[in-house]
Amino acid sequence: MDLDKLLEIGNQCIHSEPPVCVASCPVHMDVIAFVSEIDKGNFAGAYKIMEAKIPFSRLIGKICDHPCETHCVRKDVGGSIRISELEKTVIDLGYATPKKPFLLPKNKGNVAIIGGGLSGSVAAVELDKKGYKVTIYEKSNRLGGSLWEYEGKGLETSVIEEELLGIEKKGMSIFYNTEVTEETLQSYIEKYDAVYLGAGSWSKAYTIHPDTFQADALSLFIGGKIQATKRSVIGSVSSGKRVAVSIDRYINKTSMTASREREGIFETKLVYKTDTIKPLDTMVKISTFYSEVEAKEEANRCLKCQCDACIKACVHMQRFNITPDSYIRSINHNERIVLGNRSANTMINSCTECGLCKEVCPIGIGMADIIHATRESMVERGKMPLSAHDFALKDMQFSQSDAFSLVRPQPSKEQSKNLFYYPVIAFSGYARGLYKGSGKTGYLFYPGCQLSATHTDIIGEIYKHVVGVIKAKEADNDVGLYLGCCGAPADWAGRLDLMPASVQKIHTVWEEMGEPTFILACSSCASTFEKYLPMIKTISLWEVLDKYGLPTTDIKKGRRVLSIHDACASRHNTAVHESVRSIVKTLGYSIEELEYSKEKAKCCGYGGLVSNANPEQAEEFVEDRIHESEQDILVYCAMCKDAIVKGYKQAYHILDLIYGTQEIPQKMPTLSERQNNRKRLKRQLLKEIWNEEEEHAVDTTYDFTLHMSDEIVSLMEKRFILLSDIEKVVDHSLTCKERFFNPETSNFLARLRVQNVTYWVKYEEKGSDITVKDVYSHRMEVVEG
Amino acid sequence: METKIDTKIPWMCDKCHQALVAQKVKVRYLEGNFEVELLKCPTCNMVFISEDLALGKILEVEKSLEDK
Repeated sequence: MDLDKLLEIGNQCIHSEPPVCVASCPVHMDVIAFVSEIDKGNFAGAYKIMEAKIPFSRLIGKICDHPCETHCVRKDVGGSIRISELEKTVIDLGYATPKKPFLLPKNKGNVAIIGGGLSGSVAAVELDKKGYKVTIYEKSNRLGGSLWEYEGKGLETSVIEEELLGIEKKGMSIFYNTEVTEETLQSYIEKYDAVYLGAGSWSKAYTIHPDTFQADALSLFIGGKIQATKRSVIGSVSSGKRVAVSIDRYINKTSMTASREREGIFETKLVYKTDTIKPLDTMVKISTFYSEVEAKEEANRCLKCQCDACIKACVHMQRFNITPDSYIRSINHNERIVLGNRSANTMINSCTECGLCKEVCPIGIGMADIIHATRESMVERGKMPLSAHDFALKDMQFSQSDAFSLVRPQPSKEQSKNLFYYPVIAFSGYARGLYKGSGKTGYLFYPGCQLSATHTDIIGEIYKHVVGVIKAKEADNDVGLYLGCCGAPADWAGRLDLMPASVQKIHTVWEEMGEPTFILACSSCASTFEKYLPMIKTISLWEVLDKYGLPTTDIKKGRRVLSIHDACASRHNTAVHESVRSIVKTLGYSIEELEYSKEKAKCCGYGGLVSNANPEQAEEFVEDRIHESEQDILVYCAMCKDAIVKGYKQAYHILDLIYGTQEIPQKMPTLSERQNNRKRLKRQLLKEIWNEEEEHAVDTTYDFTLHMSDEIVSLMEKRFILLSDIEKVVDHSLTCKERFFNPETSNFLARLRVQNVTYWVKYEEKGSDITVKDVYSHRMEVVEG
Repeated sequence: METKIDTKIPWMCDKCHQALVAQKVKVRYLEGNFEVELLKCPTCNMVFISEDLALGKILEVEKSLEDK
């Protein structure tokens, strides 16, 4: 993993970019914090925020030329926020006499300020604050320069005097009526460690560094009117502040230019779209200044521009309170750490890798690929927490084993001849399809491991239907069947080591079957095929059903409204979106689209194995999704249905509607039932369609009968414990008598290590009836003996 | 791994009909090897782990070893 490259991506994230008002303010007043305080009615707090960036804020706030307002994002949706007017009200309502400053020793160097105008006064107070001994030389008999132009025009005489007196009170030396000329300047340069020239007029031209204000003579700095191209009160304040920074760096012999790119006015990278913002007109003031109420209303109009598109869309980022920039920094830290805890592991395993963040990001940063690469790197370095994906990977192993895996070409004409008689041949599209058998597998129906586990009893029906409709139109193409798992869990877990075997197996089948098109019923399978098996042509089952025809079902017009929850893995597959919608409409339902649909689909929480690694996070995904609509939800992914039903929301799989019964089940099979269903499906299909008995089918049978309450079943689900694990524990305990006994309750407690997990079962034994009372497990191995 | 073992439990070894005793037991997970006091049968050495211990301290230690 190239972490430096990754950090560069993180730097492109604009979440922490300042709003345009702050970027266009030469002194970068924190406008969002400022209006937020006003909004809360805390005018003293708002004044403190002004004061933090604006020297003499009591004066400047009244006369600032507010470049911020020209660029305000609110401009076209009701008018710019009147930041300048708000400042005036804040001064009136929030100004408090400053506390007597603590006088620091001035021992960092001697600086002369030539010209006690606005920029000179600002530079003087800033340098004084930094610990320099400052001497001001002023041509006239007072400080303030251009400030006096506002006397009676926005500024009261007494306030100007009071504020300027503050400079004298700081203990700086001020020489009034002292004019410094071009001839005498050199002597000041020689006498002082640095000189700031901020005089109102000066005839000699200097080359002035635009960022540091440093002139030809190294210890001379020039700002104010001599340097400025246009007059701006806040511009002068800014140059005074920046000069102070330069002089400090010059005297301290540190870099004059490092990290100063964003001083003064700069361009922010923040993009803030206003297309969905409701216009809200500028608050009109009734008297000269905004009243407290008016100011609060005006402050309330502020959009507080910040890019949070991804956070708004993603409960994962919300849960960890993180944005791509900080996320990437956490990943970087997690990857580089040598000693200590990798504290970001859980977070990294709580992303569904659904890709929504990339869809909503104005600059297209996607966390899915980054997090995926991180998981691969964690696995490669042996740093992936074992427990995060262990269960899902074992389940995958089961689905890829002979217990479920099955490949068959379409039954041959020879095998099916007992179907070719009237009336079967007349009424069964399937029989006619078999009759047209060509022996060339043009299609391979691949229902996937999860649908096979949740819709076990209709997989055969679907297969027969697909054979019928495809053969009716494409006589040359037989339709075979392939039960298996595509390897998506391994991919999500970052287990690149497991992918080649999984992919190779599918590839070999594809080649041996004559390179058929795979008919996929699972969106995750589709994305795994696209990523690892791009040579295989695929089509979704939904497109097949839409294009070749639906089974004859009960179609009624005017059925109820459904909201479609698109599968996140299909977000870019418009053919899937369209065919699903077409089928739903054909069946007589109407559709109310969700805000986050199609390419902006939200994940149900199963993606990325989040429900394994962080079940609470997965629940939050469901919770977020189900509150998006009042309507019942239609899905076309088995796991989406599972997740939504678990969130107690009515959900229908599209196959539930196509093969509809009156009552569509809202209870999904347990983890154990899923495995059993897969086994059962293989056996059923072999028997029903190929007339074969399964070879080597050995089902373990026990001499006891297990009884489990619903509570125990849900505990097993929560703790990822299979029925087969419990059976093994109980069987072992009965056979070897390795168990504990509680004479108070007459319960037994037994344990057995199965692979890398120790399972514990508490039970009651009555003859051959075993009633399970509790189940739990741990991974820590106990060395007995 | 420090644990407080509740020694006053009714469970006994079903095979040996013995009361359980607290003794140092070796446990291991990933790179971690510890000796910890647990209840066991003094005769057959079968170690007792309660639900609270499995889902409490043991889980916590497992997680911290996984994040090391």
